[in-house]
Amino acid sequence: MRARYAIGKVLGSVGTLAFVVVFNFFLFRIVNDDPVESLFRGRNLSAAQKDKLRQQFNLDGTKFEQFLSYVRETLHGNFGVSLLSKRPVTTEIREALWPTLLLVGTSTILSMVIGITIGIRAGWRRRSAFDVGSTTFSMFTYSVPDFWLGMVCLGAFSVNLGLFPTGGLEDAGSNATGLSKLLDQAHHMALPAFVLAIAYIGEYAIVMRSSLLDTVREDYLQLARAKGLRDADVRRHHAVPNALLPVVSLSALNFGYVLSGAIAVESIFSWPGLGQATLESIRGPDFPMLQGLFLLFSAALIIANLFVDLLYAYLDPRVGGR
Amino acid sequence: MSRRTVALAMLVGLGGLVAGAAVATGAGASSDDEARITLTVGVIQDLDSPNVTAGFLVSSFELWNLQYATLTDKAAADFATTPGLAESWEASDDGLTYTYHLRDGLKWSDGEPLTAEDVAYTINTSRDQEWINHSATTANLDAVVVDDQTVTITSSVPDPKLPIMDVYIVPKHIWEPLSADDVTTYDALDGVGSGPFTLTEWKSGQSWTMVANPNYWQGQPAIDQVVFRVFTNADAMVAALEKGEIDAANSIPSSAFERLGQADNIEAVFGRQGGFTELAMNGMAGGLGDGHPALLDLNVRHAVHRAIDKDVLFDRVILGLGKKGVTLSVSPDSVWQPDIPVADQYTYDPAAANKLLDEGGYLDTDGDGVREMPDGSRDLTFRYAERSESENSAAIRELLTGWLEAVGIATEVSVYDDTQLTDVIGSGKYDMFVWGWTPYVDPDPMLSYFTQGQVTTDIDSVGYNDANWTSPEYDALYTQQNAELDRTKRIDLVHQMLTLFYEESTYVVLFEDADLQAYRTDRFEGWTRQPAETGPVIFTNTSPTYFNLKPIGGDGGDEGGGMGTGALIAIIAGGVAVLGVGASLAMRSRKSRDDRE
Repeated sequence: MRARYAIGKVLGSVGTLAFVVVFNFFLFRIVNDDPVESLFRGRNLSAAQKDKLRQQFNLDGTKFEQFLSYVRETLHGNFGVSLLSKRPVTTEIREALWPTLLLVGTSTILSMVIGITIGIRAGWRRRSAFDVGSTTFSMFTYSVPDFWLGMVCLGAFSVNLGLFPTGGLEDAGSNATGLSKLLDQAHHMALPAFVLAIAYIGEYAIVMRSSLLDTVREDYLQLARAKGLRDADVRRHHAVPNALLPVVSLSALNFGYVLSGAIAVESIFSWPGLGQATLESIRGPDFPMLQGLFLLFSAALIIANLFVDLLYAYLDPRVGGR
Repeated sequence: MSRRTVALAMLVGLGGLVAGAAVATGAGASSDDEARITLTVGVIQDLDSPNVTAGFLVSSFELWNLQYATLTDKAAADFATTPGLAESWEASDDGLTYTYHLRDGLKWSDGEPLTAEDVAYTINTSRDQEWINHSATTANLDAVVVDDQTVTITSSVPDPKLPIMDVYIVPKHIWEPLSADDVTTYDALDGVGSGPFTLTEWKSGQSWTMVANPNYWQGQPAIDQVVFRVFTNADAMVAALEKGEIDAANSIPSSAFERLGQADNIEAVFGRQGGFTELAMNGMAGGLGDGHPALLDLNVRHAVHRAIDKDVLFDRVILGLGKKGVTLSVSPDSVWQPDIPVADQYTYDPAAANKLLDEGGYLDTDGDGVREMPDGSRDLTFRYAERSESENSAAIRELLTGWLEAVGIATEVSVYDDTQLTDVIGSGKYDMFVWGWTPYVDPDPMLSYFTQGQVTTDIDSVGYNDANWTSPEYDALYTQQNAELDRTKRIDLVHQMLTLFYEESTYVVLFEDADLQAYRTDRFEGWTRQPAETGPVIFTNTSPTYFNLKPIGGDGGDEGGGMGTGALIAIIAGGVAVLGVGASLAMRSRKSRDDRE
């Protein structure tokens, strides 16, 4: 009953998403539901002006009324207006989305390709010098915090060697277009993308290697060898495809983290993405922005999870069953 | 479709997404930027909104200082009132009405004439619509256009701030079409202003750019544009200054300040604008909450005051970058602060503190090291609210709680962020907290915060009186100074108020903070401190530096930052290699697989 399996998974995801929508509202209001006083401390405003601001910020009325209006607006795809910029949350998020996709997407591709390649070589030639060396390297990068690596790389390559800018998406105030603009952005992105890629290579390499090691013990590999196939063919056509399964699910899950996964690195490299937007909104606190961002992050993860579930059922007929 | 194809499709899909992102971020407006003389300023706070009726962050004030001229200006050195858009003015006999005469030929940056209509529109509309950054000044004012170059401004009450008219005048032809509801949500990217520079572009989270206004009344500035570059990492900003990527930086981390001061071609300044940090004690005037009863005893507050070593706070917490705290600081202009003789100050003296507490009957009868109330009902254990959003909080708390413990006062520390702390203070559920203020140039707002009217009596309407303290004598003096049109007499009244407030010790001013800034000395000259000697060079009250700056030795070209060709080629080659290898691997395995099946 594959259809039933799929429908169950989809409904489960929709339910989770609905829970997130509700939870989202209360999450940021537990501490204090009225940021007007702290935002405007020392600004010499009258009580009437503060009330007017509350009205503008949709903070007037009972909490239940606020909640109802929040749900109604959210269901209509309206996430409200940022308390700080007074611009629609959707505009703010859309502007911050692309830099994050660019940075984290690039580094995810890099770390996947390099990590899987390393993992395959290491797993296939177990206990070789390459295996020992690469496993040590993988364990190291897997355990290194990305913000630490970011600070070190910034200090070394940007400050001391002067090879890269100290942060940002492009030269501030630059009017460059076309190729020179792309090159400028690539120059700015190189260091943060490198840091993020390094931080994830280890994960892919380790998972790929251990999965391959499991596969190597299977009988059908013995059979393939007994048929006289070349070693490379055995690896390429019999071992790796079967060993890739856990890596596929890891990759798909990591897609869910692409949007929210780079908060630390974005803040170190002043990268104007969703991570930076999140930090700024927490500082406010900017409720509508935080709600929009967390909904987006949660939705990305839920969808990635759903995707993994469905993909798994497709790739491995044992899942999702008869 | 095989499993491999699925995996490959995922990879290609992600690649497509990245390429799309590259195109999306790469697409943008064009025009070459020749050899424009550009000043680049590093900041750690983006604009909130360029709209002067909506924004409230310090960054946005710097934008408006540059974009909007004011009727009267303030001298860089000492805030003295100087002509601005108005070249002269005269008062009526009762001192309630001022007639301002605008300069000849004033124009907005878009070429439209700037007239008395713009002034009257700004003052009257901001009053009616209660614009947050205007109405404290304009609430009681009424402006009437006499002719294009003449406007009269009448205050309904005696206003000692007049003739100072330092509100940002906005262009009527841009703002008038907006309805009252639309005003605060207007994006204000029009870039039409009357100051030395006007906004041309704001890249949220990255930078904002302002270009020289040829129609500025003092003439066209010597530099062509100012770029404010936003850093989320203050240490990276310091590095950018050292590398020459930026020319000046605001909010330097104190850990980097000394090093910058010793660097070549860099000048580091700590500038005071009257901001201070205080220990406040709950005076329970609003009747809300549950402040410790001992703090209502003046002698206990004096004991707390005398237990605190402000010299140590100055040396070790702010590393000497600021000023030792005595009285409340109500203005960046120190003329408003009374000079309290050292003999009359509550200087550090734990023995005197102990004596005050002993004499008041606060004795430690159970020998646990903590004094009790005279009736033995409860310990002198004070709830200490610490503010998480300040880098100095923890150090101050360590010192203060140690000093209090030494005189037999225990503390229970809780840490709050700003919204939580505001809530705790508003509800009166605290005994002491450490926070700070930054005053306006006119002392009135800061003084008003400690009047009865600002005490919180209803948790849904929190006032600014966070020490919950009032005094009829203070309120009477406040009313008097707010109507005193003679500056010398007003200063004397303010001195009396601050002396009284100091003696009451409901606020113990720990120190006056400074803005830590640094700038490069090899590209521009003319950096101007406001006020002279002690103030900062950027993010000051009227920001005169930007207009005063001139490039050194005709240097105008784009500053460093450009990358070496080698690095570029390496990046491209690396990217191509990775993609190439990936693609060929994928193709090869695909091909051989197809062969076999």
